[in-house]
Amino acid sequence: MTESPPATDDNSPSGRPVLDGWVWPAGAPSPISHLQIRAGGLDIRHPEPDLDVAGRLVASLRASARVLAAIPSRELIAALGRAGESFVNSIGDNGLWRIAQNAELSREMTAEVVSGMAATWSTEALEGLVYAEFPDPRVLDGFVPDNERLVSATAPGITLHLGAGSVPGVTVMSIIRALLVKSPVLAKPGAGDVALTAAFARHLGRLDPRLGAAAAVQYWPGGTAPWARWEKELFAAADQVVVYGSDATVESVRARTPASIRLIEHGHRIGVAVVDPTGDPGAVSDAARAVALFDQEGCVSTHLFFVLGDRAAAREWSGALADALSEIEFALPPGHVPAGELSAIHQMRGLLEMEAASGRDTELWYRKGLRWTVILGGLDGFSPAGGRTAWVIPAADVAACLQALSPLSPVLQTVGIAGIGEERQGLAEGLARIGATRVVPLREVAFPGAEWLHDGHRPLRELVRWTELH
Amino acid sequence: MHPHWSLRLVARESGTMADQSTLPPECAELIEELAGLFRDSEDIFGCDDMFDYMARRVHAVQRATNPVLRRFWDAAGGSEPGAWHEIPPVPVAALRDVPIASGPAEVVFRTSGTTGGAARRGEHHVASVDLYRAAARANYRRHLFGEDGAAARTPSAAASDVTLVSLIPHPTAAPDSSLSAMAGFIAGEPEVAHATWVFHPRQGVDAGAFERAARAASPPVLLLTTAFALVQLLDALGDAALALPRGSRLMETGGFKGRVAAVDRAVLYRRVRDALAVPESHIINEYGMTEMLSQAYDGAAGHAGPASSRVHRFPPWVRTRALDPLDLAPLPPGDVGLLAHFDLANAASVCHLLTEDLGAVTEDGGVRLAGRAPGSDLRGCSLTAESFLRATRGRGPGSRP
Repeated sequence: MTESPPATDDNSPSGRPVLDGWVWPAGAPSPISHLQIRAGGLDIRHPEPDLDVAGRLVASLRASARVLAAIPSRELIAALGRAGESFVNSIGDNGLWRIAQNAELSREMTAEVVSGMAATWSTEALEGLVYAEFPDPRVLDGFVPDNERLVSATAPGITLHLGAGSVPGVTVMSIIRALLVKSPVLAKPGAGDVALTAAFARHLGRLDPRLGAAAAVQYWPGGTAPWARWEKELFAAADQVVVYGSDATVESVRARTPASIRLIEHGHRIGVAVVDPTGDPGAVSDAARAVALFDQEGCVSTHLFFVLGDRAAAREWSGALADALSEIEFALPPGHVPAGELSAIHQMRGLLEMEAASGRDTELWYRKGLRWTVILGGLDGFSPAGGRTAWVIPAADVAACLQALSPLSPVLQTVGIAGIGEERQGLAEGLARIGATRVVPLREVAFPGAEWLHDGHRPLRELVRWTELH
Repeated sequence: MHPHWSLRLVARESGTMADQSTLPPECAELIEELAGLFRDSEDIFGCDDMFDYMARRVHAVQRATNPVLRRFWDAAGGSEPGAWHEIPPVPVAALRDVPIASGPAEVVFRTSGTTGGAARRGEHHVASVDLYRAAARANYRRHLFGEDGAAARTPSAAASDVTLVSLIPHPTAAPDSSLSAMAGFIAGEPEVAHATWVFHPRQGVDAGAFERAARAASPPVLLLTTAFALVQLLDALGDAALALPRGSRLMETGGFKGRVAAVDRAVLYRRVRDALAVPESHIINEYGMTEMLSQAYDGAAGHAGPASSRVHRFPPWVRTRALDPLDLAPLPPGDVGLLAHFDLANAASVCHLLTEDLGAVTEDGGVRLAGRAPGSDLRGCSLTAESFLRATRGRGPGSRP
């Protein structure tokens, strides 16, 4: 590997620690010069856009494909699982601090997030993932019988991952998915996910050089003018592109990716929940956790709660949720955010309080100096505010929830449920019809299993190409 | 330094503005009293006790005449304030959805509303244009016309004549803009020999009209502009220098948010010097907002220091505090926080405002602005409010449970 100095403690002229945001395989060229950007509380150093280097980097990854293809799937699962399990133990206090600084999460939250994410990187979890999608994983090694024919599943070549988020662990999982289907991967983490991704790639290379040669990491400020030609080269050189990000990011990548290149999109999403307090009186603590985890920045994070019952019941539940959010704010403190985000919280609270004062049926819970806010009101005023803001809406029954959720169809992802008894199946079927792709107990909202149907897709199957032999 | 702007004139059905007598009598009396004090006795507000006394009087009248505000305060604690700063400030966003006023408005000013979309534009229901004029006048005369104290209130003691050229739309072109209204007040000053309006909200800057007005001007020019329009003008002039008469001065206001790339103020002032021959000492920044009837300026034209070291000053009937962004606890002088202003001129709407601006208060009550509080560069993969609204727009609200 062309390895950046591990866990550098260098300081930039700004006084902030500097992290090297690239890990290139051993066969790749060394970067000649570097640039630096700020990401959270760290400065990230990364190579300059050099088209010649890009070509050689891709060639190096392509050369690793043959070695990767020769590793039997079972061995690959075991090697990646070993890497995932040992990586978590290797992070250490300094590593955790860097991840927290980079993602602008508190240390406690970072530990919780890394632990939750890492549960999907174990051998057992990866076995579950591969077997869920390929009941006979040998199909990834060559042809296997499939009724009257033989079939094989092959990754089309190099996967280019483009991350745009600050949630640590998203890019690591994307790297693991690509390698599981034997696709060398060039991963650009989101600006807040560089520390964890680079550390994982270094660890992987140390543990198994065959895998290290097939995984390159580099941060660059995606979509910016100086990187336009670099990205154009990579979009054309890659065999498939996986992009995470906002509408603008996804649309920009879509517009620039050649039609012949497979594009897999993961746009931003919103999480909601349906709760029957009578069926699960303890759901508030699960609800608080679903709001607080990732500081509500995850695509799985819950923003909106439908509480079955009348307004009085929803009011009582909102108060209990407020207490639970207070508690969890001490256990999992929020990360540093700029003054503008704190200002936005005050402004939002003031707006809603004034609405309440003017007679609108909005009620509000918050505590001065704490980040969380609980709002009891109607759906017409709702928008995802973030910053641990829970919007509670009373709903007469499950049918009313479904009707109200219908306009959210294009952006719906995870729906947490709690206390829903006999109507569970019907609710899930209705949610599926309007676009929800994951319906789970509220307590499981934050950390999907490795085999989850990410945004409604099978995450490994969408990375392979099937071949049939008759 | 951030955009003010538009307000919509209301109460125009009969073609005339609503009569002030339709206000609750105690509110109307207070407004009249304040306008008189602003015109003739502003110095009394320099006394903290007097300011506090007036602030609590205003608060009592607002409690009695403004039920929305009263319920807001009651929900925030409700106890009788022992001092003006104990009156809970109202976040400016709260003026977006709900009309907050003690009575009918003569005019409704509206913000540009860039963050929440047109449907979420802030509104300031202004009960008395006369009070607005009184609140604005003393300070703009002091900082733009070179007058001080009582002289500012005496037309006969006015400075030499000026030609006013405005890159702020004429009040009739932007009737819901508080800034245009103020530009209209300035145009009516006795020293303004001639006024030319060379900006239209739709067409932008008319550089040709500006050049003609500037070349025809013999007395010094007073140029009123937003920073946005000023950049447009300078871009249009290109390398062609157009020296304004000696003694010309410039008032610029507002930011560049969402309009053009951010421009460093020092760079902008250098461009003004090079293109218009107006030195930095004659370029004054005005800080104001739709939600406030009083404004702050960062120097007196002709005597202003380097822009980087200037402090903004409100008239004495405004008090400003910097508050900790985390819990809104007051910060000591010099510490940067969210700015909260208490403006007695807002007696018929909302006096105590929590802004989205960052700044520090100086020991002598000046305000050192630090810009709009920045958001985070990092974003997770959860949907933002803007994307949510875009994705669900047009799908109509579901039937509410």
